[in-house]
Amino acid sequence: MIVALAVAPVVLVTMLIGLRGVAAMRTTSDFLVASRRVSPLLNSAAVSGEYLSAASFLGVAGLVVKDGIGSLWYPVGFTAGYIAMLALVAAPMRRSGALTVPDFAEARLGSATLRRLAAVVVLVIGVLYLVPQFRTAGLVLSVVTETPYWVGVVLAGGVVSATLALGGMRAATYVQAFQFVFKLMMFIVPAMWLLIQAGPDVRTEATQPTEFTHFRDDTTVSFRVGATLDVPTGVEVVGRDGGLRELEPGPWEVPPGTTVTFADGTPVPEVRGEAVPGADGWERPLLDFDDEGYPLLGTWAVLIATMLGTMGLPHVIMRFHTSPDGRAARRTAAFTVALLSVFYLFPGIYGVLGRVLVPHLYLTGATDSAVVALPAQVDDGTAGTVFTGLLTAGAFAAFLATSLGLLLVVSGAISHDLVPGGLRQLRLAVVGAAAVIVLLALPAAAFDAGTLVTWGFTVAASTFCPLLVLGIWWRRLTAVGAITGVAAGLVSTIGSFLVNVGGPDLDGWVAILVAQPAPWTVPLAFLTMIVVSRLGRPAPWATAAMLRLHLHEHRLSPFVSRTQSDGAARDLGHSSWPARRSSAVRRITRRLGR
Amino acid sequence: MTGRRVAVTSPQTRLAHARRRYRGPWRPTTLDPAEMPRAIALYRAGRRRAIAALAALGALIFGLPFALSLWPALDDMRVAGVPVSWAAIVLVPFPAMVAMAFWQLRRAERAERDLLDPEAPAGSDDGGHGDPSAGPGQPAREGAS
Repeated sequence: MIVALAVAPVVLVTMLIGLRGVAAMRTTSDFLVASRRVSPLLNSAAVSGEYLSAASFLGVAGLVVKDGIGSLWYPVGFTAGYIAMLALVAAPMRRSGALTVPDFAEARLGSATLRRLAAVVVLVIGVLYLVPQFRTAGLVLSVVTETPYWVGVVLAGGVVSATLALGGMRAATYVQAFQFVFKLMMFIVPAMWLLIQAGPDVRTEATQPTEFTHFRDDTTVSFRVGATLDVPTGVEVVGRDGGLRELEPGPWEVPPGTTVTFADGTPVPEVRGEAVPGADGWERPLLDFDDEGYPLLGTWAVLIATMLGTMGLPHVIMRFHTSPDGRAARRTAAFTVALLSVFYLFPGIYGVLGRVLVPHLYLTGATDSAVVALPAQVDDGTAGTVFTGLLTAGAFAAFLATSLGLLLVVSGAISHDLVPGGLRQLRLAVVGAAAVIVLLALPAAAFDAGTLVTWGFTVAASTFCPLLVLGIWWRRLTAVGAITGVAAGLVSTIGSFLVNVGGPDLDGWVAILVAQPAPWTVPLAFLTMIVVSRLGRPAPWATAAMLRLHLHEHRLSPFVSRTQSDGAARDLGHSSWPARRSSAVRRITRRLGR
Repeated sequence: MTGRRVAVTSPQTRLAHARRRYRGPWRPTTLDPAEMPRAIALYRAGRRRAIAALAALGALIFGLPFALSLWPALDDMRVAGVPVSWAAIVLVPFPAMVAMAFWQLRRAERAERDLLDPEAPAGSDDGGHGDPSAGPGQPAREGAS
């Protein structure tokens, strides 16, 4: 029960820190952006804490076990996104003064339709990203404690929505910053321990990949989800009485909920449509999906999706709005690159050790539990249990932190952008959205977390990335252009996913471009926006709206300078400031300027 | 535990916050004509630096996979038992990206400082701006005065 002892503190601390934020919550701004008073270092810890989801903590190592060393490109793309963000988006986005991405779209282009469309995109990304988080929570808890899958899902949903409904963004900030430090410790310390404890033989083997063809021990595999295995001759399983029984060669439909113990030294059955861990090509540092023969295209496709997707992820952008000004937002992005780079040095260690020690996870498709399954393989005493507990606690922190941010943007999209309302409605939206996500996650146990999260990134890359980049840097963007561009990106990516799931079997580079559509959907969205905007005419105020995003906040206030002597340099006749402010506001700002 | 914290707004304010928000007609963003040249200068400076940073990032992100596919021999070359190509996708991109991020941050901040108050001595950093621990009650605009 040491595992329950590990998860309980994470959950409790999350709730306690969350409660700290409750007292000062009065407005939607308090709730959504913590009243914009978060320092760059705290904010970048929170951004990293939010960003290191189950996909990073567990998923990358799982993908390395399954697909090979090339999967280590995912974290590179995840981190590179923040440099693009730093260069292009962070400061102007914060200077727009918007609360959410749809808010920004409306402020820049003045279209209520665009705002609603952007809110819908936020919902799509939110669902694609949240469902795998809750699913992994259920899966990890069921792997380590033998509880049913739904317990973990409901537990995660309950904790996240309670913390958020009470404390909003302020609570989320402290929770996420705490959880970043926690996750970093829970990831690095066990990695070091595993490396030392595994011994020289395993370490040597880890760097000399060989195909997983024979079980090296009596291996118990539990199939939570059904699978179809191709059984070669001579596969023996250990019966309940301890006797050996040979499996019938040929295809074997394993029903869900089966537990099989394969005997020591028997050949490994193959899984339909999956490459065997350690097979030829596993050691290549490129992503050759399904061995189609286009490793470079596959790698670039993933890099484009993750890098540009990061720039458009609504929950990450929302975090930048909590900075006090554009400069702090930019610093946040730079610090985040450093913090993430430290974390991402380690998933590879779990991946290569996992290939040696727990390759059988590929039979069930649950390679993303490799990280939590490793300590028990290295040490079956107390130390192994303690480290399993630590890693489980870290993994739980990972999906709690990510879900907090995502649930916040989803409820913000519903209650701030689609149906504007007050604080109470925002809190209700949080609980409602969490309930829906839990219901969606319950039947999703069979989905691969990595796939869904990559889809979320692809949608963000082909909708919000062009909208933000062109909105900030191109003055001729029109509302119609933005709407058609976002719609084109959304429709083409979703269509591509549907073809991939339910369509015909494709091969060659077409298959890669359907499974990883970012290389063509992102340019498509950009081109649509540019061409349609060129056909129309930007509004007369468009140039001012764009330039305003680049203006530093800490310039002299026009109210201050009026009372000072440099009034002569200003063309007061064309200034629109006085007309836009009520006398009360003018009185107060004048007092501040004195 | 220090005592319970309570909101000390008037009941009317609390009512107003809880009410459904009225969204008035949307108004275009305005820019003071006096600030236009400064905004244009900042925009141009920002664009130039962003393009340079993105070019460097693109060269790293797309060049490294290309190099690794060009020289598969790196898989067999080993340093301390680890294939060079494995180390190359962890130990090269991350330090390079951290360096790139801080390089871009420094250039962007310097550009902003130079354009806004050219008289300020170079290298002086008025730490007051980004410091949010200033606490509530201190209006953000005061930073410049």
